[in-house]
Amino acid sequence: MFSPSPFRFVLIFGGCMLFAFGALLTPAVQSLDARFSSVLVQLSHGLILACGGHATRDAAILRAPGGFGVEMRDGCNAVNVTILLWSAVLAFPAPWKMKALGLAAGSVIIQALNVVRFISLFYVGQYSIPWFEFAHAYLWESLLVLDTMVVFWVWAQRAARPAATAHAGV
Amino acid sequence: MQAFEPQTRFLVRGSALLIALLTLWWFVLLGPMLYLLKGAAGVLLPIEDHPSGDWTLRVPVDVTLHRTPRQPLPQQLRSIEFDMPRSDAVTFTFSIPVYWAIMLAAPGVRRKRSPLLLGTAAMAAIELVLFLGFAHITAADAAAQLAGTEYAADKWIYRVGVYLVVSVLPYAAPFVVALWLDRELREEVLSLGRRVEVPVQGGNRR
Repeated sequence: MFSPSPFRFVLIFGGCMLFAFGALLTPAVQSLDARFSSVLVQLSHGLILACGGHATRDAAILRAPGGFGVEMRDGCNAVNVTILLWSAVLAFPAPWKMKALGLAAGSVIIQALNVVRFISLFYVGQYSIPWFEFAHAYLWESLLVLDTMVVFWVWAQRAARPAATAHAGV
Repeated sequence: MQAFEPQTRFLVRGSALLIALLTLWWFVLLGPMLYLLKGAAGVLLPIEDHPSGDWTLRVPVDVTLHRTPRQPLPQQLRSIEFDMPRSDAVTFTFSIPVYWAIMLAAPGVRRKRSPLLLGTAAMAAIELVLFLGFAHITAADAAAQLAGTEYAADKWIYRVGVYLVVSVLPYAAPFVVALWLDRELREEVLSLGRRVEVPVQGGNRR
């Protein structure tokens, strides 16, 4: 029987989350965060061009030929949901190798989804600003947290297996 | 892929419900929810609304402004007044439809009337607390700036506070409350009490 304590999970999850968000808002990490956003915009720009779309890039800003521009700021780069995933993975009782796999694979999945989100917002914004605000601030953010929960769920199911085997084998 | 069937079903249903319920919230529920939020928060701090939909909040503080060359006598600050655009207030209303979407997407939805109602009340309380937290952090930050007592560490603490209250907790809270109130979902997601059959070498299969 594999049975992580929910209390321990909540305690470690909350601690990791507070520490990570505190660190994220320090000047040194903010500078890295801005560079990371710039890389994601570069990747999105490359994908749009590769698919035959039209856009220009200026650091973390993506511009449409019609003049509409969208900037990837702090929070739009999915670092906040990645922190939530990392906190949950670190709080879950699993072997460190499994945790490392969860952190790496989970981050890649979330960032890939975020690039899709950013490109979709770039096109939604050209069509309608009110729809852009709705999709940007509420819909896509909530969908990303839902995806993050499912990524964690899939990982936790896999991570729970070896531990359960070990316990059952005793 | 069959091993991940519950996750896939939850993701598909959750995504569809999020789109449907957030659209309903944006077009129908947003106005009444803002009205209720203003009513509930208005009991604790004065809020004035404008025809544009923006709010003016007056938050009580107790700060002494020291003497400066421009202000020869110390002054007592009793409240801080600031404007809050409607788009900022909206942030404190959308967590309830997100909670509904998670609960309705979770397995065994028919058995979940009471967690749904209890969670809705919990989410409304959390949104109110977050709104009041945002107002007090913003006022404390402004008061510290006016009093000239804000140092880099204070600035960082206020920034982390506002970031959590505006950009993290409204999004994370519905999921945490759903996992807290829905035992079945919690046991599934956190793999609590998962039993795995292990074949024993030399043993008989039944």
